[in-house]
Amino acid sequence: MKIAFTAAGTTWDSQIDSRFGRTEFIVILNEETQQLEVIDNSAVKNEAHGAGTATAQKMYELKPDVLITGNGPGDTAATALKNLNMKIFVDAHNLTLQQAYNSYKSGSLKQL
Amino acid sequence: MKEVVILSGKGGTGKTSITGAFAVLAGQQAIIADCDVDAANMHLLLAPDFAERSDFYSGELAVIDSNKCTQCGICAYKCRFGAFSLSNGTYVLDPLSCEGCGYCQITCPEGAISLVPRKAGQVFVSTTKVGSTMVHAKLDIGAENSGKLVAKVKNSAQELAKLKHKEFVIVDGSPGIGCPVVSSLAGASYVVLVTEPTVSGLHDLERIAGVIQKFRIPMGCIINKFDINPEMSTQISHFISSNGIDYLANIPFDPSFTKAMADAKTIVETQSPAKLIIEEVWATLTKKLIN
Repeated sequence: MKIAFTAAGTTWDSQIDSRFGRTEFIVILNEETQQLEVIDNSAVKNEAHGAGTATAQKMYELKPDVLITGNGPGDTAATALKNLNMKIFVDAHNLTLQQAYNSYKSGSLKQL
Repeated sequence: MKEVVILSGKGGTGKTSITGAFAVLAGQQAIIADCDVDAANMHLLLAPDFAERSDFYSGELAVIDSNKCTQCGICAYKCRFGAFSLSNGTYVLDPLSCEGCGYCQITCPEGAISLVPRKAGQVFVSTTKVGSTMVHAKLDIGAENSGKLVAKVKNSAQELAKLKHKEFVIVDGSPGIGCPVVSSLAGASYVVLVTEPTVSGLHDLERIAGVIQKFRIPMGCIINKFDINPEMSTQISHFISSNGIDYLANIPFDPSFTKAMADAKTIVETQSPAKLIIEEVWATLTKKLIN
C-alpha cells in the first residue's frame, strides 16, 4: 500500500498540512518497505490560482492507495480525484504524520 | 491556537466592521490577518504602523531584451491581449495588459522575450493601535488577490501566533466563494458569517455556507441590520437553523457603525447597542473555541 500525506515538513514528526492544493510537501509512505518518499510541492504552492487541480494532477501521477490530509481537497479537486481509485481521509491537521498514520491504522480518521 | 475566519459571501454586510471589533476585543491575545486584499481596509480601523514590509510576487510578466529584439512585430501580432505596441520605432510592453501567458516567448523568433516574476504588491507585518500584531497586504494597481497571497498572509499570521504564544488568529476573509476564500479556510477552527437581510444576502450566505460545509468547519452566523427587513431575517434564520449553523446574533441597524468608521474607530470603541451585542458574541466565541 502507498499512503500519501499532505505535509508541512518531510519527516514522521512533521505536521499534516491542512491544505491539499497548496500543501508544502506530499510525503508517500510505502508500507512494504516503510520508506518515506518526499515530493516538494512548492511549485504548485506558488501558483496564483488552480493549486487544487494541480495537486490533484500530481496524485494521478503518484497513484497512492490512500490520501491523508486536513481540510481539503476542495470541491474541484475532489471531483477531479473521483476517478482515481484512492481512499481519502480528512481532518488530520493538528496531527503529525506518525499520529495521523496511527489514527488511520486504528480506523479513527474520517473518510470522505 | 485557534483561528476564527470572518466571511460574508456578499460584500458590504459589515464583515470588516465586525472583524475590527473582534480584533479590538481580543487585544494582544490575537494576531490579525487581513485576507480581504482586494479591498483591504482593516488598517483604517486598527491603525497599524506598517513596520515590516516585503514585496510580493505573483504570476509572470513578459520582458523584451532590446539587444536581441529585431522589431519584427510578431509579438504584437500574436499577443491576444494587445500588450505590445510600437513606440518611436521600438516595440514596448504594457505590463497592465500582459497576462503572463508566455505565448510571445514561444513565438518570438529571436528568443528576445522572457517571463519574469511579476511584483503584485507588498505584505506588511504591523503593530496595531491595541498592541496586537497584524499581517496585511496591499496590491499594486491592476493586481488581483489570489489564493497564493491569502495563503502567504495567513501562514505568516499562524507562524507568528505560534511563536508569540497567542490564543487566537482573527482572519478577515474576502467576499465571494472563489480561490482567495477557499484559501482563507485552511486550518480554520471556526467561521463567523456576517450577512444582511436582503435577497442577495441570503443567496450568497447559502453559497458560502455550502463551501464551508465541504471543509467540515463549524460556523456561526450574525444577521447584521436584521430589523431593516424582518421578513428576510426570518428566512435567513430558518436557513441558519436548518443547516447546523450557530445563530450568533441579530444586530439592529445602527448609525453608530458609520459614525465610528468616520472617526476611524471600531464599533466597540463607541457607546451603542451594537457594541454590547458584539461583546457578547465575542465572549460566546472565545468560550466555544477554548473548550
